[in-house]
This record gives sequence, C-alpha cells and structure tokens, in this order.
Amino acid sequence: MITVLRETHHAPASVQERLARAGGRNRFGEPNFRVVWGWSRLGWIGGRWTDHDADGNTLRERIELRLEPKYLPFDRWHIERWCPPEMYGTPREWYQRTLEIEDGRNVAALGPYPSRGEYELAFTLQGPRGEFVQLTPTVVEHCARLIEFARGTPRRNARAALYEREARAERDYDAWAFDLLDDAVPALHGAPFVTVPALL
Amino acid sequence: MPAQSNSQSVALQLEKVRDKIPLLYERDDILLTLIQQRGDVEKVSSRNMRLPLQINPGGKAGSYNADGGDLGRGAGSSYDVAQISPMFFKFAVEITKLVEYATNSREQAIENAAKREVANGMKQFRAFLDKLMQTGGNGVLGTISSIAGSTFTMTTPPGAALVYVGQTVQVYDATLTTNRGTANVTAADPISSSQTITVDAVPGGTVANDVIVHDGLSGASPTSLFGIKYHQNSATTGTWLNLNRATYPVQLQTPRVNAGNAALTPGSVRLALNKVRKALGINQVGKLIAYTSVEQEHAWENLGITISQIVKEGAGGRASDLDLLFTGQKTMSGVPIRSSINADQTRVDFLDLSHWGRAVMKDIDYFEVGGQTVFPIYGTSGGLAAAYIFYFDTGFQVFSDSPRSGSFVDALARPSGY
Repeated sequence: MITVLRETHHAPASVQERLARAGGRNRFGEPNFRVVWGWSRLGWIGGRWTDHDADGNTLRERIELRLEPKYLPFDRWHIERWCPPEMYGTPREWYQRTLEIEDGRNVAALGPYPSRGEYELAFTLQGPRGEFVQLTPTVVEHCARLIEFARGTPRRNARAALYEREARAERDYDAWAFDLLDDAVPALHGAPFVTVPALL
Repeated sequence: MPAQSNSQSVALQLEKVRDKIPLLYERDDILLTLIQQRGDVEKVSSRNMRLPLQINPGGKAGSYNADGGDLGRGAGSSYDVAQISPMFFKFAVEITKLVEYATNSREQAIENAAKREVANGMKQFRAFLDKLMQTGGNGVLGTISSIAGSTFTMTTPPGAALVYVGQTVQVYDATLTTNRGTANVTAADPISSSQTITVDAVPGGTVANDVIVHDGLSGASPTSLFGIKYHQNSATTGTWLNLNRATYPVQLQTPRVNAGNAALTPGSVRLALNKVRKALGINQVGKLIAYTSVEQEHAWENLGITISQIVKEGAGGRASDLDLLFTGQKTMSGVPIRSSINADQTRVDFLDLSHWGRAVMKDIDYFEVGGQTVFPIYGTSGGLAAAYIFYFDTGFQVFSDSPRSGSFVDALARPSGY
C-alpha cells in the first residue's frame, strides 16, 4: 500500500501573474503577492522537537532545524504577501530574538535571517466553514480584486475603526439584552389587545 | 404587614425576567464565555476539584540484541493531580422607589426599571469577571506608578483598563501583604496614554508601586479568579493549581516569547506558534486562537500583511461581493484573532481553549434566600428605606489542564498613539 505523506502542488503561472499584476512587484522584482499550497510551502523551525506517535505518546526529543509546512491547513491554497527584510530587524536583532539554547547548543528557531524579505500569510482560501476552495480563474480574479481593493484603502483610521467596532459590540449587547428581557414578559407587556374595526 | 407585602410584590415583578439571566451572561463575546463554550464545565462541590495530569510518559524505548540480549526493565507513566476550588463573586444592584414611580404606567415602570437594571448589571458583572480573567490569579487590577491628589497614574499594562467607574477597590502594598484600605473609583481613563484612575478618598499610606485589587479580598497574598496570566505563565517557581512549579518546571511552563519592548513582528508570532508545534506536533495549532488587545490587533494591522479585515470592516459594504468565497476572518499567521479592550496591551496569547474549562459550584443567577431574590433596604431608623436591592452571584474557578498547549508573546511595544 502506498501512503501519501505529502501532497505538493504549484499554482499555475497564469495565476501568479494575475496576482503580481494586482499587487505589484517588490524591490527585487518579485511579486508582492503569490499563492502557495500548504504542503508545498515550507519554513525553518529550529529547537527542541518532541515527536509523538499516532496516539499522542512521546516517542523522542530532538534538537535540530527542520523544514516544515509553514501554514495550516496543509491542504489549502494560501495567499502570501512579501514583507521587506527591515520588518524583521537587523540580522543581529534577528538572531538575538530567535536563537534558542537547548542543551548548550544554539539553534536559530526561525532559520537564517531573511535578507531578501519573506512571504507571510495574508489569507487562506477557504469557505466560511473552513471548506476547501479550488484555485479556479474566478477565485483568482476575486483574490486579485481583493488585493487591488486593499491597496486603495488607507489604514490611517484603523485605530478609530477598531474602537468603533468595540463600541458597536457594546451597543449590540444592549439591544440583544433588552430584546431577550422583552421575551420574558407577556406579549404587549400584558396590555389588553383590542381590535379597532375602523383601522382594519 | 406593609413591609412584608412591599418586598414580596417587587420580587414578583422581577421573576418575569428571571429565567433569562444565564442567557444574558453566556454570550460568546468575552473570554470567559469563550472558555465556557469551547472548554469544559464541571459541576463541583465545596471539595477541591481534582485534575489528574500525565506529567511524564512511561516506557523504556531502545534497541536490543535479539541474540540472547537483555531487554532491560520498563517504566510507567507518572501522574500528579492539580486541584482547584471555586471562588464566589457577587454584583449588587440597588434601585430606589423613585425609579419605579417615575413613569406613566405603574406596571411597565416596574418592569422597565428592573429590565434596565438587570441588563446593565449583568453587563457590568460580565465585564468585571472578564477583567479578572486578564489577571494572574491574585486579584490585582493595576499598579500605581504615581499619585497626584486623588488621581493614580497606572502602570501599563494593564493601566486603567481593569477598573470601572463606581467600583470599590482596595489598595495593597506591592508585596500584597498590607491592605491599606478601600476606595471608590470616580473616574477611569483606560484609552488615552495617561491611564489614570481617580478615587473618592486615597487610603492612608498609599504610595507608588502599590497595587489595586478588587473588593472582597482579604489577608496577605489573596487569591482570586485564575486568569490568563496564571495559567499562561513561564515561571518555574510558585504554585499552579496546588502543584509546585519547581517540581515540574518544563511540564507546567507555557512557552514564552519575550519581545523585549519591540513592536509585534511576524517573526515573534511565528516563534510563539512554532513553540507549540515543536512541543505538541507540527499540526497542533489548528485549535488555537490569538487572544490579544485592541492595541496589538492594531499593531498587526499596521504591518500590512493581512487583507481580510478590510473586507469585513473597512469597506463599508462596498467590498461585500469579494467576501463570498472567503471567511473574511482576521488572522495572525493563520490563527484567528479574538481581541478585547480588557486584554493586556503588551501581550498576545495563543490559547487552545479545548484545554480550558470552568469548575462551577453555582451558575450565575440571582442570589436567592427562600425563593426571594429582591430584598428591602432599611433606613437608619430601622424602618424601610425607599429602595430595594438584588444580587447576581456565581461560584466558579477557571482551569487549564495543559499549560504547554498554548504560548504567548509579551513585553510588546504599544503602537504609537496609545
């Protein structure tokens, strides 16, 4: 019996090109946005690993650097956005923050410094209940429009928007609570119901 | 018997809304109810609830010589027991008769006054308990950094975020040994950078670095609700659910990323998530939520990586057609974000709520004596005062059965403007 351990895919060139046109290119001429398959997108993870069997029992512990899928779920398409290297600080800061010492050994927990920047998860293609969404031309077009819309939306009012959202949640609670309490009393608050023929 | 009939009459009016009280509380929009909805609820007695934990795996693995070699001896798993007992919390609501009289219809006046106070009171009680969930289990709601008159400037985190106007608080010394007395909060500013609290009267002896705790606690080193900072803790000293952290320094330690007062970056988020993956398995972050403050949610947005929130919040409906195929849920490296104005402003907690739960002795409801839930107030003469009082109360404690199933980033810089 053949057991598939890892199912890898690559997005068609036409898809990548459409996203590149929507999102533009970075200082290295690479696209700001790209689409990757979860199982195919690997990232460095270093440190002390605890391996488990299928029942969750601990099998072994290892201190090493591994290339592992960067995003979950593995079986979904993910849209990534390029982040410049300065977002990760200087190389010195990077290693200061990410070096882990295990049994006297230094391990770069996130691998080497991303001197050409790094792609990070912008969003995952999946339905409202987490279901799989295939990378069809229609979906790609939606993604591209989403990216173009995002480029044109200023972020300067983000703080006010976040607090407005919290205030809205407060108001929603008030309205919901009063409705709930209204349900607990008789209809029309117990007032007599009288039919007025003239209004029929 | 006028006093008796008055109190009984009022109680009858409030009974109309009685059965909705738990619903007013169990709403999936604060951390405590998230835990209830996704985690366990265990009904407990006054005895400690015991949580058996497999501390270390058993068995001896290795190779052996099949040509008559010695296979050696085995070993079994080791277990220990964490223990919790519930804490009781109350919220008192008092209404004067004037409120009752101040509307046109007598029947509706009573219903509306009760309804309004029930809704407001429950909202405030929820908020109070949610604020306690942000603490380290000792009831500390904030630390005083300086005092000017009756105004305290508070150290951030948590600043003034965990108190509300009208709340009675107590001031303890920094070591939680000396109770300096109580005060009532008359103003609180948790939004601006000043983070101040004004009280009606500063307890004698209050100095900078003293802490503010909630009402009802007493004695040295008080214990309160075990919040996030109690369970998501990287300390290797002290106790956790009656277990000595020093005995199990690895097993009881939640993986931590110290941001060192730097801004939130994708790197620090990935470090925190990877710590969970390394400890529990590469695909074990699917159940996590990123619980954080509005400030750090803003910091994440400022990085400009995410897009989906624009669809949900920033588009004013114009982009709704773009949302048909996608969840639109805001995530932090793929982990759904749940933010709160009560959360620590310098911290992101990755929580697996399936490991969290509540040990409940009494569900939230009216405090009841012999079927009566509304009680008269007495004046100084011994006669009735023109007011009545009712209480919400609950008895519970929060637990996590796997501190290693989460991680956190702390000491994050707050974005500019906060």
